[in-house]
Amino acid sequence: MSAVWTAAWAAVRRRVLQTIVIGIVVLASTATIVMALGLLESAAAPFDRAFATQQGAHLSAAFDPTKTSADQLKQAAGQTVSAGPFPQATVDTSASQVFLGTLTVAGRADPGGPVDRLTIWRGRWATAPGEIVLNRTPGGEGGNNLGFEISIPGRPKLTVVGFAHSVTGSADAWVTPDQVNALQPTALQMLYRFPDAGTAAKVAEGQKSVTTGIPEGALLGTLSHLTVKDKATSELGVFIPFLMIFGILGLVVAVLIVANVVSGAVVAGFRHIGMLKALGFTPGQVMAVYLVMISIPAVLGCVLGTVAGNFFAKPIVQDAVEGFGVTELSFAPWVNAVALLGMPALVVSAALVPALRARGLPAAQAISAGTTTHTGRALRIQRWLTTTPLPRSVSLGLGVPFARAGRSALTLASVVLGVMTVTLAAGLTMSVTAYDSAVRPSYDDRVEVLAGRPPGLPVMRTPEMGEPPNATLSDADDEKMLRSLPGTDAVLAVSQLETEVAGGTQNATIFFYRGDTGKLGPRVLTGHWPDGPGQVVAPSRFLNQRGLQVGDTITVQANENRTELKIVGVVLTNNEDEIFADWSALNVLAPGTRAHSYQVRFTSGTVRETFTAAIAKGDPGLRVMPPRDGSSSTGVIIVSASVTLTLVLGLVAALGVFNTVVLNARERRRDLGMLKSIGMTPRQVTVMLVTSMGVLGVLGGLAGVPLGVAAHQLVVPAMAHAAQSDAVDVLMQVYHAPALALLALAGVVIAVLGALVPARGAARLSIATVLHNE
Amino acid sequence: MNNDAVVEITDLRKEYSDSIALNGVSLTVRAGEAVAVMGPSGSGKSTLLNMIAGLDRPTSGSVVVHGTDLGALDETGLALFRRRGIGMIFQFFNLLDDLSALDNVALAAQLTGTPAGQARKRALELFGELGIENRKNIYPARLSGGERQRVAVARALMNRPALLLADEPTGALDSRSGEQVMDLLLDLNQIGQTLLLVTHDERLATRCASRVIEVVDGRIAREQSVERVS
Repeated sequence: MSAVWTAAWAAVRRRVLQTIVIGIVVLASTATIVMALGLLESAAAPFDRAFATQQGAHLSAAFDPTKTSADQLKQAAGQTVSAGPFPQATVDTSASQVFLGTLTVAGRADPGGPVDRLTIWRGRWATAPGEIVLNRTPGGEGGNNLGFEISIPGRPKLTVVGFAHSVTGSADAWVTPDQVNALQPTALQMLYRFPDAGTAAKVAEGQKSVTTGIPEGALLGTLSHLTVKDKATSELGVFIPFLMIFGILGLVVAVLIVANVVSGAVVAGFRHIGMLKALGFTPGQVMAVYLVMISIPAVLGCVLGTVAGNFFAKPIVQDAVEGFGVTELSFAPWVNAVALLGMPALVVSAALVPALRARGLPAAQAISAGTTTHTGRALRIQRWLTTTPLPRSVSLGLGVPFARAGRSALTLASVVLGVMTVTLAAGLTMSVTAYDSAVRPSYDDRVEVLAGRPPGLPVMRTPEMGEPPNATLSDADDEKMLRSLPGTDAVLAVSQLETEVAGGTQNATIFFYRGDTGKLGPRVLTGHWPDGPGQVVAPSRFLNQRGLQVGDTITVQANENRTELKIVGVVLTNNEDEIFADWSALNVLAPGTRAHSYQVRFTSGTVRETFTAAIAKGDPGLRVMPPRDGSSSTGVIIVSASVTLTLVLGLVAALGVFNTVVLNARERRRDLGMLKSIGMTPRQVTVMLVTSMGVLGVLGGLAGVPLGVAAHQLVVPAMAHAAQSDAVDVLMQVYHAPALALLALAGVVIAVLGALVPARGAARLSIATVLHNE
Repeated sequence: MNNDAVVEITDLRKEYSDSIALNGVSLTVRAGEAVAVMGPSGSGKSTLLNMIAGLDRPTSGSVVVHGTDLGALDETGLALFRRRGIGMIFQFFNLLDDLSALDNVALAAQLTGTPAGQARKRALELFGELGIENRKNIYPARLSGGERQRVAVARALMNRPALLLADEPTGALDSRSGEQVMDLLLDLNQIGQTLLLVTHDERLATRCASRVIEVVDGRIAREQSVERVS
C-alpha cells in the first residue's frame, strides 16, 4: 500500500464527521442533479420522448375499404415500417347514457406492434367481444373508472376494460378486430413510420411512396405526426418553463454546496497538509493524499446519490411528464453518466484549487494556516458589534460569518437559492390555487341544478343523480321557485348551444346566462358583460387561438340560424372553446330554448342538504349536481412537484449551512472551549453558532424573496403563454405583504435547521480536551 | 467543612477507558493560599485542575469550591459557576483572535450581564494595574507572549473570582516574560487572591506558592510548605 493511500485512508478514518458530511452532501447533491437533469431532459422534448417510446406513427391514414383492400395496402407499404390495416368505425355516443362524443374506434388484436405501441396505463387490453379500451392521457381530467358501459341503440353494448394512450392519437378507442366488424367499419387505418419525417415535405414524400398503386379516391384522410405534435405541445407546454426553472435551480444549488463543502474541507486540512510535508511527503504526494481523502466519500456519495436520484426523482418527473403520455420513464443514459462522472470531477475541481494553494505553501505556513483568518473588515465588524447592546453570544455569532467571507458567501448563495425556490414554489402554488378557484370554483356556497337536456347534446348524468333530469315546471316557474326558496341569494339560468364559428376549424360552445350574472357569472377581466343580443365575452385562450381581440366580431351558426356577435370583453375561464352571451342572443340562435340548468347561491348558514331537498320538493324533475372538486390534475401536478422540489432543494441548502457550521465549529474549537471555560453556557454557545448562520438566513431571505418573485413573474407568463392564455392578475398578483414576510423567514428556517444540530454538538464540546490539545 | 476552605476535594477519582487519571485525591485549599501542583507528564495534575474548574466530571468523589458542590451542577450550572467563581489562565492564553485585547477581557464581564461600557471600564482598570493599558486596542496576534498572558490574567480577574486557576502559565513564555507573569501572580496572591497553579516549573512553584503538592500516578505523593524565593 502506498504512503499516499495509507495517509489518505488514515485521514478519512480520523475525520469521520467530515467524511460523512461530504458523503451526504455529495449524495444529496447528486440526487438533486439527477432530478434536475431528468427534469431538463424531460422538459426539453416530452412529446418526442413519448413519441419515440411508443414508436409513434409519422402518418396515420384512413382508406375506403370499398376502393382498396388490405393486401393492396400492405403491398403499397413495401419496406416502409407500418401497422395495419385496422378496420375503423365511427361511433356516435350522444344517445348513450355516458356521452363520449363521436368516437373513432379501431379494431386491433393487441396494443403492440412495429408502430404506435400503445401504453395501457389502467385495466387491460380488449380481448373479447363487448370490451373496449379508451384512449386517454394518463392523469388527464375526467373519470377514469373502469367497468362503465357504452350502449348505443342498434350496436353491441361495450364495457370499458382499460385505458390506453396513443401519442399519435390513432383512434379514440380500440376493440378486437371481430368486434369492430359488428360496429360497421367504414375505413381501414394504416400507420406508417418513415426513415425521415422531420418536415411536412418529408412526410408528404413518405405518404406518396406508401400510396403509390392505391386506387384513386381510396385515401380518405391523413394525420401527420407534425400536426399532432403542434397540438400536444401547445396544450402541455405549460409544464416546460416550470420544469426548466426547477431543474436549473437544482443544478446551481448542488454545485454551490459541493464547492463550499469540499473547499472548506481542504482549507480545514491545511494544518494536516503542513504536517505531512514536515514528514517528508513531496508537494505532489501531499496534494494526492488530499484529493484521495476527499474523493473517497465523494465517489461513494455520488454512486449512492445517482441510485437515490433515479429511485426518488423518477416518480416526481413521472408525475410532471405524465401529461405528455410518458408512463414508462427512463432517464437517458447521459443523465446518469453526467452525474456519475461529473460530480466526482466537480468535487476534485473544487478540492484542487485550495489543494494547489496548500501544495505551494511552506510546511510551517501551512500548519499555521489551519486557524481562522482575520481580515481588517472582519475585525472592524467584530469591534463594532462589541459596542452594541446585544447579548454577547449574539454579537459574537453575528461576527462569525465575516471571518470566512468566501465560505459565508457560498453558504449565503445556497440559502438565497433555497429561499428563491421556496418563494417561486409558493408563488406557483398560490397562482395555480387562485386560478383553479377562479375558473373551477368548488361552489361551497351554491348548487348546480339540472333541468333537462341541452339542445343537440346528451344530458349530463352522474351515478348519484338517479333518473335523468326532466323539469316538470316551465323555465320561468322553475326560476321563480328557486328564487322563492328560503336561503336563496342569487339565481343564474344557463343554456348552451354547440355552434360553428365561421372562418375557423374549431367550433365553440356558447353559454347563455340569464339572471344574476354579476354575482354568479365568470369574472370579466376587460370590457363588460354582454348587455344586448349581439354581444359575447370570451376567455383569452379562445381569442389567442383565433387571433381575435375585444371589439372584433365573429359569426356563429347553430343549425340554420346564423348571427354575428361582437366580442365585448374577456372573461376568466379556462376552456378555450367556451364563450358567453346574454340570454337575448339565444332568442336569435335557438328561439324558445329553456334553461337546461341553474346555479343557485344560498346565503350563509343555509344547510346544503335542506336546500337540495327544498329544490326537489319544488320541482321533482330537477336534479342537483354533486359538489364539484375545484382542483385540476395539472394544478395538482404543479403543486405536488413544487412542494417536493422545494423540500429537496431546501434540505440541500440546509445541508450547506450544516457543513459551514461544522467547519466553523471545528476551526473555532479552541475559542469555543475558552468561551465555555469563562462561563459561556451550552445554550449560549448554541445561540452564538445558530446566530452566525441566522444572519445569513436573514440576508438570504431578503435577497431570495425578490429573486423568487422575479422568477415567478418570468415563469408564470411563460406558462400562461404556453397554454395560449394570458398572465391574468390572479396568476401574477399572488404575493402580498404577510406572505412575503413569511417567505423571507424561509431563509432563517433553512439556516436554523441546518445550524442547530452541529451547534448543539459544538455546545457539548469537552472543554478540557480542547484547551489542552494544543 | 473547613470554614476558610476555598477548595475542598474528597477522595477524587477519575477514570478514562484505558487509564486512571486520579485515584483517591483529597485536598483542601484555604482562602489566600497559593498552591502549586507539580508532577511528571500524565501524572493527573491537569485533570485535577479541570475537576476544580468544573471542566470535567469526576468518576467518584466530590469537589466543593467556595461552598458549591460541583457534582450537583448541570452543564449550565457549571458555566454559571465558572463565570463568577473562578478565573482561569492557560498555557496557550486562549484569547479570541478576532477581539481586541480590551474586548477579550471585557467579554468575561459581559457574560455575567454587565453592560458593555461598564465592562470595558473595569477592563481598563485591570489593564492599568497590569501595565498593559497601551496594548488595549491591539489584537492578540500582534501581542507578545507575555502581553497575551497578562491579558489572559486580566480576563481571569475580571469578575473578581474567589479562586484563580493557572495551568502552566509560563510554559509558553520566554524567560523574561515568564518572570513578569510570576511577579504578577505573586503580587496577586500577596493582596489576598487564592491561587492554584499547575506547573512543571520548580522556580515558579517555589516563587509563587506557599504549598507545593506533587502528584504521581493520580495520587498525591508529597505535600510540603515552602518558603517563597524572592
